[in-house]
Amino acid sequence: MAVTLPEGNLETRLSRYLDGFNNSHGIEDSLVEGDLVQVVVGPEDLPAVLTTARETLGILHLSFITVVDRQGSFELTYELLDLRGAQVRVKTTIEGDEPVIGSVTGIYPTANWHEREAYDMFGVAFRGHPDLRRLYMWQDHFDHHPLLKSFEISTRRTFEGLR
Amino acid sequence: MLGEERKTEETTLSQPVSGRLANPDIRDEFGLETIDMNMGPQHPAMHGLLRLILELDGETVVRCDPVMGYLHRSKEKISENRMYPAVIPITDRIDYMNNMAMEYGYCLAVEKLLDVEIPPRADAIRALMNEFSRIMSHIPSLGFLLLELGAFTPILYAFRERERIQSIMEEVTGARMMFHYIRLGGVKADLPEGMPEKMWEYIEGLENRLQPDFIDLIEGNEIFIARTRGVGKMSPEKAVEMGLTGVPLRCTGVEFDVRKHYPYGWYKNLDFDVVTDDAGDVEASYRCRIGEVRQSIRMIKQILENLPGGEVMGDTGRRIRPAEGDGIARVESARGEYAVHVVSDGSDTPYRVHYRTPCTVNMQLLQEIVPGHYLPDIMPIMGLIDPVSGAWDK
Repeated sequence: MAVTLPEGNLETRLSRYLDGFNNSHGIEDSLVEGDLVQVVVGPEDLPAVLTTARETLGILHLSFITVVDRQGSFELTYELLDLRGAQVRVKTTIEGDEPVIGSVTGIYPTANWHEREAYDMFGVAFRGHPDLRRLYMWQDHFDHHPLLKSFEISTRRTFEGLR
Repeated sequence: MLGEERKTEETTLSQPVSGRLANPDIRDEFGLETIDMNMGPQHPAMHGLLRLILELDGETVVRCDPVMGYLHRSKEKISENRMYPAVIPITDRIDYMNNMAMEYGYCLAVEKLLDVEIPPRADAIRALMNEFSRIMSHIPSLGFLLLELGAFTPILYAFRERERIQSIMEEVTGARMMFHYIRLGGVKADLPEGMPEKMWEYIEGLENRLQPDFIDLIEGNEIFIARTRGVGKMSPEKAVEMGLTGVPLRCTGVEFDVRKHYPYGWYKNLDFDVVTDDAGDVEASYRCRIGEVRQSIRMIKQILENLPGGEVMGDTGRRIRPAEGDGIARVESARGEYAVHVVSDGSDTPYRVHYRTPCTVNMQLLQEIVPGHYLPDIMPIMGLIDPVSGAWDK
């Protein structure tokens, strides 16, 4: 098979991943729990961290990108899998209402549509994305980013009474 | 005869895109130009509502740009505005061909944040229903592939099987399609009296019917080979690069199955193989799907042989308020890796739910693989991905 998948037992791999990140980047926070390595990095370091993951550590699969609107800041989660039992989660927070972050499409080409979706739903601008158009919503005549907390839906159910 | 013709085509197909296009010099000389064409959103052969913007050079596709969103129902926004248990029926409608996996992924994600123990019987029943759901999705998808190639009979056989499984599901869950069966902490109800025997009987029958009704009908058929062999061919590197999962990845030879490599629930106790194929074309995806149906049958038999007893519902308390934090779970749906990311702020409703649907990601290969193919090859390639409109649009 032409694709090299990682070998060895899970614990050694997890510590190798964590060491790999720690050695080359300023990691703000890290956690190893079960089959998961979680690192928190600054938004400007993120493309470099993912480059390390792909090129040096050989983590092949970007599973998804989640954006969470924290009302004032945006939390981004990049979930990576080495396809053999280990999860690597890279988290970053962008301050402000107009989030901008470097694109990782050059590192993980699959990020193309994930980033388009994040842009569509949250207005996160990915610097260096080859084709940053909306994925689901109308291309024009629509100025909103629907998953922002400020975008109220008309038939909103709040369950205020239960809280 | 047809197969022979294709063999010469195969060599051309593996050449780079530019090699297959009309010679630019000749094109300029005769004033030929490429044309843009819309395929869809409403197209009789399309798997739902999808618009493909195609640039054609003669009958060869130069550029393929999928436009999605025609069935976008904003599942993620709806999920943010409902209480945790009320999100489960919403997830049912994401991938309506394989609903059980959608419920299962969401429940696993929330259960990561809940302090609840899932009874072993509930775990086993979840895996059992998931495998039935997978068969229910894989077999019609073979039928759709053949329908797109012009063979009408297989879809009738496929839907006969789907209807029979639906009748079993109806007896267990109360619904034929939108089950709402897997709940936070367990499953809605135990299997009815005599159900394991009934399931066993059906599975034995399906195993016997698989060869005469599907494999004999499809495999070796000249038209099928001519339309699928070498079509949509991709290398394992390309497949991994595009983030494919599920059958499109496994048909290139990369062994990755969430059930095997990130085991969850009852799958830890089951013995099964990951079906792979080396060809990486549409025909290989067909072989993978048949192989996976066989593995599902094997798993269902194992579960039914050792079905544990006891309760089917863990104690979640009356009000479900998961702890603050991230709950991420992934399951192997019929189309690939389905992951759910639930962010909780400690209240009754999720703060954010993100669904990673395999179809959305797998559809990126339309952009990458279709250029260089003939226009009629798009439909078999869609059969390779086997997308579901509800799943790619969320």
